[in-house]
Order: sequence, then structure tokens, then C-alpha cells
Amino acid sequence: MNWMLRLYPARWRERYGEEFDAVLASQRVSAGLVLDVLGGAVDAHLHPQIRDSHSEQIKGDDTMTLAMLQRCAAGGPKLSPSERRIASRLTILSALVMAVLYLVLTKIYREAPAAQAMLYASIFSTSLVYKQIAYLRKRSWLTQAFFLGAGLSAMYLFMLAVCVIAGKL
Amino acid sequence: MMRKPKDDAELADFGRFSEPALLILVSLADGPRHGYSMTEDIEAIADVRLGPGTLYGALARLEARGLIEPLKSEDRRNPYRLTALGGRALRARLDSMMTVARTGQRRLASA
Repeated sequence: MNWMLRLYPARWRERYGEEFDAVLASQRVSAGLVLDVLGGAVDAHLHPQIRDSHSEQIKGDDTMTLAMLQRCAAGGPKLSPSERRIASRLTILSALVMAVLYLVLTKIYREAPAAQAMLYASIFSTSLVYKQIAYLRKRSWLTQAFFLGAGLSAMYLFMLAVCVIAGKL
Repeated sequence: MMRKPKDDAELADFGRFSEPALLILVSLADGPRHGYSMTEDIEAIADVRLGPGTLYGALARLEARGLIEPLKSEDRRNPYRLTALGGRALRARLDSMMTVARTGQRRLASA
């Protein structure tokens, strides 16, 4: 059950982590307990009670979606507030671009694998974009754009291959 | 509608944490307690077992508003105590609840 503590914001864990863990360990594991802890994690992200010097800068980006995306990158490098903002905005932008591409491909090819592959690729694209930006943030824009483009293209091609094979089964 | 006393209003914007926060204040009125001790005490007095997510959601709000404060502790179970503001907020809320309860009972008796 200790892994659930990782769902809470870092500042929250620093403040309440140990005592929370002690209370959690004293309770019998049940579906109700899991839901309670999950609900508490969502609340801690949406209504942070602990303020720090960065909190006002983060506030604008602190939506549930971004919080979950940042959780996905929890094992990666630590980002500054401005780097988080850039990564979050590029992630949202890339999702919008892929959504538009999907609509265009659907209009042209209807339900052909080319359109379906774009839909499936877009599902994983947000995580890929955020992580690539996190890891390559010290590199030049050209390098970042190259790896991002290559990563998204590879994912699209992989999904396209899956859709084509699935269509022949 | 009657206006709420100011101290009582301290607990007004807690949303779903309103009732757990009240139970925590009642528990701490008896003296400082840590999280586990609070859940045990609250279960004994109100037959409600607060999960850790709810407990710490309410504790964080109470602490942020200065109604409770943490005490120094050597082990990882940090105790909390009621502040003067927390004591006034609890008293105001209990008075308000008492008024509602008395009114309800009186009306039921005369019905």
C-alpha cells in the first residue's frame, strides 16, 4: 500500500508522508481504503493546502490532467516550474495537433488504418512528449524537435503496422 | 436566516471535509493526539472510521487555517493540538448544533 503515497504531491509527502504512512499501515486493506487514499491524492493535487515559493507559479498549470502527466514523469529528472510549464503546454499542443490530424485523416481515408493508427498513437503521445521534453530539456531546440518528431513518427508507424495486421486477421 | 458567528464560519468552507474536521476538533479537545490515536478516538465517540486520505485532507485544512498545530515529535507519528482559534471555532459550531438539536426536539415533542 505504500506505493499509493507516491500519488500525492511531493510537498505534501514531505510534510505528511511519514505520519500518513503510519496511519495507513494501521488500517486493514479494503476497496474503501484504496478509494479513500485515491480521493485524498486527487484532493491534494486539486486543493493544495501547503504553499511554497513556487506554488503561485504552478497554480495556473495545476489541473488534474497536468498533475497526472507530471506523475507519469515522476521517475524522470526534476523540472523547474518554468520547464514544467513549457513541457505541459507542448504536451497539450501536441495532443491538439494529433487530434486535428486524426480528423483530417478520417475525412480523407474514413476508417482506414492510416486514420485509426493516428487515434491510437495520440493516446500515448502525451506521455511520450512530456517525457522527451523532460529528458532533453538541456539540449538545443533542434535536437529536441528531431527526437520528438522521430519518436512520434515511430509510434505512428508502429500503430499503423498494428492496424494493417489487425485488418488482415 | 440567522447569520453564523464568525468563529463558526471557520469550518464553513471545508466541503466534504467539514464533518471529519469537526470530529478531529472534538477529538483534540481532549488533548494532543497523533493521526492513529485520532482515528481510534473518533471511531469510539462517533462510530466512524476515517480513512487516511480523509483524515489528512481535513488535518491539512485545519492546520492551514490555524485551527490546529503540530507538536514536536521524535517518532514519525506527529501529534497535533487545538489552537485558541480552533477551540473557539469548535465551541461556536457545537453551540450552533445544540441550538438546532434543541429546536428539533422541541418541535418533535409538540408535534
